[in-house]
Amino acid sequence: MKSSRGPGVLLAIAAATLVAACGGDGGDGGGAKTLAPGDAENAKGEVAWCIGKDTTGAFAEVVKMHNAQNPDVQAKLIELPTSADEQRTQQIQRLRAKSAECDVLGIDTIWTAEYASQDWVYDVSDVIADRKDEFIGSTVDSAKFEDKYWAIPFNTNAGFLYYRKDEVSTAPTTWEQVYTEAKSKDGVVYQGARYEGLTVNFLELLYSAGGKVLSDDGKSVAIDSPEAKKVLKFMVDGRKDGAVPKAVATYMEEESRRAFESGKATFMRNWPYAYALGNESPIKGKFAIATLPGYGGKPASGVIGGYNLAISAYSDNAEGALEFVNFVTQPEPQKIMASKASLPPTVSATYEDPAVKKAMPFALELRKAVAQAQPRPISPVYTQISEAIYKNVYSALTGQASADSAVTKMANQIDKALQTF
Amino acid sequence: VASVPATVARPRRRRAALSERRLAAVMLAPALIVIAIVAAYPIGYAVWLSLNEYSVRVPGLSRFAGLKNYREALGSPEFWDAFRTTFFFTGVSVALELVIGIGMALAMHEAFKGRALLRTTVLVPWAILTVVTAMTWRTIFEPDLGFMNSMLRALHLPGADVVWLGQSGYAMAVMIFADVWKTAPFMGLLILAGLQVIPEDVYDAAKVDGATAWQRFRRVTLPLLVPAILVALIFRTLDALRVFDLPFVLTKGANGTNTLSLEAQQVLTADRVIGLGSALSILTFITIMVVSFLYIRFVGGNIRALAEDR
Repeated sequence: MKSSRGPGVLLAIAAATLVAACGGDGGDGGGAKTLAPGDAENAKGEVAWCIGKDTTGAFAEVVKMHNAQNPDVQAKLIELPTSADEQRTQQIQRLRAKSAECDVLGIDTIWTAEYASQDWVYDVSDVIADRKDEFIGSTVDSAKFEDKYWAIPFNTNAGFLYYRKDEVSTAPTTWEQVYTEAKSKDGVVYQGARYEGLTVNFLELLYSAGGKVLSDDGKSVAIDSPEAKKVLKFMVDGRKDGAVPKAVATYMEEESRRAFESGKATFMRNWPYAYALGNESPIKGKFAIATLPGYGGKPASGVIGGYNLAISAYSDNAEGALEFVNFVTQPEPQKIMASKASLPPTVSATYEDPAVKKAMPFALELRKAVAQAQPRPISPVYTQISEAIYKNVYSALTGQASADSAVTKMANQIDKALQTF
Repeated sequence: VASVPATVARPRRRRAALSERRLAAVMLAPALIVIAIVAAYPIGYAVWLSLNEYSVRVPGLSRFAGLKNYREALGSPEFWDAFRTTFFFTGVSVALELVIGIGMALAMHEAFKGRALLRTTVLVPWAILTVVTAMTWRTIFEPDLGFMNSMLRALHLPGADVVWLGQSGYAMAVMIFADVWKTAPFMGLLILAGLQVIPEDVYDAAKVDGATAWQRFRRVTLPLLVPAILVALIFRTLDALRVFDLPFVLTKGANGTNTLSLEAQQVLTADRVIGLGSALSILTFITIMVVSFLYIRFVGGNIRALAEDR
C-alpha cells in the first residue's frame, strides 16, 4: 500500500512554518484550548481513539496502517458501544471526570455544539483553515459551532431513496410522486419510530420545502411556519391514506431495511449502508437507489450525518492525537473506511477512487447528496430540540394531535429548550 | 418507673440491658456507616443537585435554584403523564402477577411426579435478564415479521395487522404482559414459601370437620398465606414503580409507556439538565417512599397482627 499522505502533510508543514507562533497553549484563562497545524509535527507517544464499535474491522486496519507508517506515534482503538446514544453517554462520563483515557473522540455531528460549549474538545479552527479544500464543504460545516471548528470531518452520510426497479420504471423526483406511487403499490417505508431518526426524516422534508428549525443566529425558534405544517400534514396524510404502512411507527433503520428486503415495500428512505446488504437479500438486483426527491416544486435538501474526529481537552497527548486524526482523514485510510465499512468519506477525492466506486457504485450521487445536505440545528441543547421534533411529529403521525397543533407545540418546546440555563 | 420501689434484681437487669444496648449500637455501627456512605450520601447529593441549576452552555457554571426545578417538574404534563402511566402499569401488572403467582404456587405445592421439573421450569422467565426479555418480546411483537402477527395470520385470527408497539393501549398491554410473564414466577416462589410453612395438621383438622377443597383454600390456605402474599406484594409493587428497562427497550417511552424512571433518565442523561433531572429522580424516589410507607403502615401492621393471632 502506497502512502498517500502527500498533499495534506505538505500543506501542514507549509502552514506550520507560517503559523509556528501559536502553539497548543493550555488555554487556562478560560475558553477552549486550541491546536495549530504545526502541533502534529514532532508528535510522539501513545494515542487512544474512542469511537463506536468496529463491526467491520476497518478501524483496526486503519490503526494498524497508521502505526506501521508512523512509528513515533502509536495509536490504539477503544471501542465504544454500537448505539450512538450509548457512545455519547460513555464519552460524556469520561469528559465530566476529566479522564485522559481518550485522546481522539469519534463524535456524531450533532454533538459538536454540546462538546464545544463545554470546552471538552480542542478548537481546531487553524487546522481546518489549512485543510478545508480537501473536504466536501458541507462536512466541514458539520464540525462548526459559533464560527469555530471543533473536529476534523471523518465520515459523512446522507439519506437515499431506494426503489424497486421491477415495480417503478424511473425514480420519482418529488416526494409527492413517491407517495402517490406508493399508495397504488406497496408503500414507502422510513424511520418513523419515536427517536432521532424521525427527526432526520422530518427535517429532510422540511429543508426541501424551504423551512428551518432555528433562526440563522441559532438563538430563536423558526419552526412554527406554514412549511412545517404543510410538510407534517403531508406525512400524516400519507399514513392515513395508505402510502405509508402503519408499522412504520415502530421502524428504525434496521426495521425499514428488513421490510424493504422482504419485499413488503416499493420505496424506502434509508442511509447508503442498506445498499450492500440489499444486494445479499432476496431483492438482489431488483432495486436501485436515487438521491432524495424534492418537495413542493423545490429541489431536495438532505440532512447531513456522520462522525467527525475531535481531540479531547483532557488528552495528555493532543499533538499525537492531531497527527493521528490528520492521518486517518487522508485519502488512503478514507478509502478503506469506504470500501470495507461503507462509511462515506469526507475527503472529496476519495469518491473517484476505483475501489470506492466498486464498493459504492452510487459514489458520485452520494457525494452530490452530501454536498447539498444541511446540518441539523446547531445548538448545545440539540438533544432537547430533537426530542421536541420527533415526539410531536410522532404524535401527529399516530393521530394523537393535529399537524398544526403538533407544530405549535414543537415550537413552544424548542423555545423552552433554547432558554435552558 | 421511679415510683416503683426498686427491687434488688431490677438495677442489675437495667445495667445488663443498657450494656446490651450499647453492644447493639457498636455492632450496628459498621453497617450504619456503610449505609451512610453508599445510600445516604448519594441521596443527599442528588437532593443538593436538584436544588441547583447547572448550565448546559457555559462550562462549570451553576447557581442555586431553590425549589425551581421541583416547580418545573410538577408543572410539566410529561411528569404527570409518566406518573399516571407508572401507577397504571404497577396496579395492573402486580394484580395479575398476584393471581397467577398464587395459581403457580398452589400447582407447585401439590405432590406429583415431575414436581421438581415444574418448579425449575417455572423459574426460567425469572432467571432471564429483563433487558433480554424485553428484546425478545419486542422481536415477537414486531409488526410484519414478528412471531405474534405471523402466528395470528397463519391461524386466521384477528389482530394480525395490529402494530402492537406502535399504538397506545396495545403498547402498554405488551409491556404489562412482558412484566407478568417475567415476574409471576417470582411471586409464585414467594407464595410457595408461605404455603410450605402451613402445617399439614390444619388441613387434616379441616378435612375431619368436613370442609370441601374450596373451603379449605378459602378458609385455611388463604388466611394463613396473607403474610407471604403481603411480602410478595411489597416487593413487586416497589419494583414495578421504578420500571425502566421494559419501556426503554420496548418503546423508548412512546405510545403512553413513558414511566417516571424513564422520564428522569431522559432529562438527566440524554438532555443533561442535571438540576431538573435530579428533581425528577427525587420525586420518583419520594413517590416510591410514600408507597412503601403506606404498605408498611397498613399492611405491615397486618402482618404483625396476623403473626400475633397465630
